[in-house]
Amino acid sequence: MSRLADIPIRIEPSVAVEPLIPVGGLGGGVVAILSELVTLLDRLVGGESPGAIDVRSLPMSPLDRTELQRALGAGEVQATLDAQGRSTIRETRVSGVWWIEHFDQQGELIAEMIEVARVPAILSSAPDEIAASARDLRARIAVACGTPMGGGNHAAHQ
Amino acid sequence: MPLINEGLTVGENLRLHGVSRRAFIKFCTATASAMALPPWMGTAMAEQLRHAPRPSVVYLSFQECTGCFESLTRSFAPTVESLIFNVISLDYDDTLMAAAGEAAEAALAEAMKDNFGKYVLVIDGSVPTGAGGAYCTSGGRSAVDTLREAAKGAAAIVCVGTCSSFGGIPFADPNPTDAWPVTAIVADKPIINVSGCPPIPEVITGTLLQFVTTGQVPDLDEHRRPKVFFGNTIHDRCYRRPFYDEGKFAKSFDDEGARNGWCLYELGCKGPTTHNACATIKWNGGTSFPIESGHGCLGCSEPGFWDKGSFYAAQSSTEWGKAGSPSPRRALELGGAAVAAGAVLGIASAGVSRSRQHQSERDES
Repeated sequence: MSRLADIPIRIEPSVAVEPLIPVGGLGGGVVAILSELVTLLDRLVGGESPGAIDVRSLPMSPLDRTELQRALGAGEVQATLDAQGRSTIRETRVSGVWWIEHFDQQGELIAEMIEVARVPAILSSAPDEIAASARDLRARIAVACGTPMGGGNHAAHQ
Repeated sequence: MPLINEGLTVGENLRLHGVSRRAFIKFCTATASAMALPPWMGTAMAEQLRHAPRPSVVYLSFQECTGCFESLTRSFAPTVESLIFNVISLDYDDTLMAAAGEAAEAALAEAMKDNFGKYVLVIDGSVPTGAGGAYCTSGGRSAVDTLREAAKGAAAIVCVGTCSSFGGIPFADPNPTDAWPVTAIVADKPIINVSGCPPIPEVITGTLLQFVTTGQVPDLDEHRRPKVFFGNTIHDRCYRRPFYDEGKFAKSFDDEGARNGWCLYELGCKGPTTHNACATIKWNGGTSFPIESGHGCLGCSEPGFWDKGSFYAAQSSTEWGKAGSPSPRRALELGGAAVAAGAVLGIASAGVSRSRQHQSERDES
């Protein structure tokens, strides 16, 4: 090797990110799903309710599925839910588009959805549960501090 | 049966029994997906049910083997049992309830009185009418009297299983107890037939959940079965269908065709005229269904399946392949709309089945 210029140099991106497939190279079915997602995103931006697509209801081949997943890419947020079996909730690189998989306790996939939302409904805490938790916590503090337990709420939530 | 706190909503009751809101959303999402409902429906169902007072369900078992109930209670073990108790709570079920004797009968009377016009009546088993109804009695009352009484205050009746839907095995020739399906006894209520021997648990739960959430009877087929589950034949959705189309048939249960997983039509599979969701939802938590285990479909979700000839004879050589209803004598006796419609459908589907059989014979010759 005689000169520095002969040394092959490959520039790596600072963060390894899987390249997104350009939409132009995709099958018609995948483009149709992406178009529906665009519509749902527009609606969400316009103040309408979140939308969803049931992945299992779509007549997709394994290749279509892989293409769709690569076209959407992987985003920064991944959440795991442990409720009667595992669920994974991943934001794709398309902001507001979440890929959700629900498994049962035997590990079988029981539902798969693409949800278009700021945060998927299943992740956020519900106001009534927050209120109930506040009541419970208040009652536990009361017990810890030795004051008499107040009301029936505590009993009702045991 | 465990007492449910009457004053609480479904969601609060669920939480008391360790089923979180998210687990319930997940369950409803899976149910909605299995029912091909709109994708937002699962969350909507969950949220609506969670805040609703628990719906009332009265489950009556008549001339049956309890197989349907086994199917239902073992659906999504172990959590759905708690869902059944708490979401589609059973005010009365003689198989599960701890109360017995007069206390049980009192619970039934109270549930029907308190929820008059609102409860869902689930019927499991056919209704024997011979000997004044004496073949099936509970608490000194015949099944037929109990059904008529319970139907008065029902918002809708869900017939779980082929016996309550179409008469099933008790109704089969010679029908010694003079048994009938619910549609032959009750004429003035919405009736949903969830047939099958037994029905797929997800189909039972899904139908009940959809009704208690929306209060609407789903779209039904000619036999009053929910179209979402009974819209296709087993054959339409069978993974062995390509072999049928190619004319590749197993001729015995241990020949090369059977080992290669070819079509079981000639071994008596009734998939071409049987409407059910076995090929898509499958059984035992989505594990498999009879054809996947190498056995043909028995046609258990169709009217008169027990009287249509051998399970192991090709459709074209049995009553399945003949025009009209399985047991002409029975059809005449019943004369009900469901059976008449069944006869029409039978003619149409038998025609299709025969033409396919001829096609496969031509292909082979």
